[in-house]
Amino acid sequence: MENREYSLGQIQAWMQEMLVFSGASSNTKAETPLHVAPSNTLSAEQRLAIYQRGYLARLLQCLEGQYKALCHALGKDLFDDFAREYLLSFPSGSPTLAVLGERFPAYLEETRPDKEQAEKEPWVDFMVDLARFEWNLYLSFDAPGHEGQAYATPDDRDQSLRLQPCFFLSAYRFPVSAYYQGVADGEDPAIPQASAHFVAIARKNYRIGISALTAPQYTFLEAFQKCDNLAQTISQTAQTYERTESAVEDAWANWKKGWIEAGFFISTSPTPPSSAESPPSIAPQKQHN
Amino acid sequence: MLSSNYNLSSLQTKVAAMPRLGLGLGLRHVHFDHIQQSWPAVDWFEAISENFMFSEGRPRHVIRQLAERYPVVLHGVSLSIGSSTPLDFHYLSALKTLASEINPPWVSDHLCWTGVLGLNTHDLLPLPLTEEAFWNTAERVRIVQDFLERPLILENPSTYLSFTHSTISEPEFLSNLVAETGCGLLLDVNNVYVTCFNSGLDPVDYIEALPHDKVVQMHLAGHQHCGTHIVDTHDRPVLPQVWELFRLAWQRTGGVSTLLEWDGNIPSFEECLAELYKARNFMGSAIPNFVPDFERHLVEKSPAQSTPIDFMVSPVMAHAELL
Repeated sequence: MENREYSLGQIQAWMQEMLVFSGASSNTKAETPLHVAPSNTLSAEQRLAIYQRGYLARLLQCLEGQYKALCHALGKDLFDDFAREYLLSFPSGSPTLAVLGERFPAYLEETRPDKEQAEKEPWVDFMVDLARFEWNLYLSFDAPGHEGQAYATPDDRDQSLRLQPCFFLSAYRFPVSAYYQGVADGEDPAIPQASAHFVAIARKNYRIGISALTAPQYTFLEAFQKCDNLAQTISQTAQTYERTESAVEDAWANWKKGWIEAGFFISTSPTPPSSAESPPSIAPQKQHN
Repeated sequence: MLSSNYNLSSLQTKVAAMPRLGLGLGLRHVHFDHIQQSWPAVDWFEAISENFMFSEGRPRHVIRQLAERYPVVLHGVSLSIGSSTPLDFHYLSALKTLASEINPPWVSDHLCWTGVLGLNTHDLLPLPLTEEAFWNTAERVRIVQDFLERPLILENPSTYLSFTHSTISEPEFLSNLVAETGCGLLLDVNNVYVTCFNSGLDPVDYIEALPHDKVVQMHLAGHQHCGTHIVDTHDRPVLPQVWELFRLAWQRTGGVSTLLEWDGNIPSFEECLAELYKARNFMGSAIPNFVPDFERHLVEKSPAQSTPIDFMVSPVMAHAELL
């Protein structure tokens, strides 16, 4: 055995490379007996392999948990193939496993198997979209929310409504939310056909609600998310769809109740239910019900 | 030597005054609903710090609620106290904030390192037990204790390898660390058994060599015997020989706070509690009957997962629904 002293930093860097990159170079692997003592039953390499297996199994298990529907869609073996490569490209640098899969959707897009093909494979688009959707759900679980305070009610003035902090709005190329729900219900849903899909995710009282939206609803909420101003949102949506502002106001009046129930909104000046004052509204009162 | 203004005696006094909490369970998210619905009669809980310190969702809400009704100890897995690269003060700040919210009887982590050079393996990796590693760890314990303004409680890890560079035994390393820094010890009885089997050591000698008066907590858990080695799987009941070792540890420590960890294939809360309460059978004055007959175990060939983390992945699918 080579008779030299290794610093703590050298030993730890060596072991980490053997775990994270499975000993990228043959020199690194060859150092194993220099650092690890054999036991009565296992060689130095066999003892190290317990950690190597554990490292990969543990993080694959974590990613499978963060992307349950994607893992179902791809099948465990193919999912693990992607995940193994992802872990080599983006090993964890965080003290929390909660962000392990943060870059997985972008990684899938960047390394898609049809990258060089002129015509892209639809199933790859679906997998990327499903990954994006699941990551938004995952974020919503631990994100800052509005629990412990009042959500908006139908009695609140329109002008006081704001989107709540734990609200995610996304557009997809496939109906990923229905597929996800199918997997959550224990089904084996078929990979859906491509169709534009818009989703709002809002956490209310620690339950995560997934709301499928129409394209105009998405446009409306996207504008509202950007400008935080209802009148401006109505104006922008009207322009986008070449409709009158009055028509958008009517539509908003129809959408509002369900969105308030789903916890999309908080109010900057909540109105007590018993208030005698009739708040001004940009939509006809009858359509609030 | 550490800096002269380091208040060693104050830390030692705090460790000596740490309460005996009785029998506790590891807090796992699969049990959240049951706990919040029935507020079961359990002495205390131990929460994995990282599951709560970065959450602003339900986990944070649950731990705040529990801390109003039970003692909740914070047990970390990412402090990386033995690492050769700088401490993560963002991590320490988050830990301190959580501790200020739930006022834990103590904060613990492991004698290990989890990563260097900006990476985290999310494993509790063994230290080369050298003079350099000792002084590096002692200095970091001092910094962490200063920052958290409380003693750190350190647990002996399960290890599957030992380094050719090691010159100090693990009990000696821990004993010296306690003397040098004023930190306390979390004696994981199962880890002693696992480490000693894997390194050909005597677990009774290991326990006898520790400073028993500095042990403030014990851990119990199940493991998987793979024939050539044992893996600390936390996925089954405590094995008979570990119970016998616990009997010895209970006598030597005078009966400190004891907690059951169950992290894989987690059964119902009531089943976990029943397993925990088996500890009462080993708290008497009977002479410990530990026989280091490692071969009495059933050997399993199925893959064994060390340091399971399944229980650390947020149960998003169970809390999301299509409206």
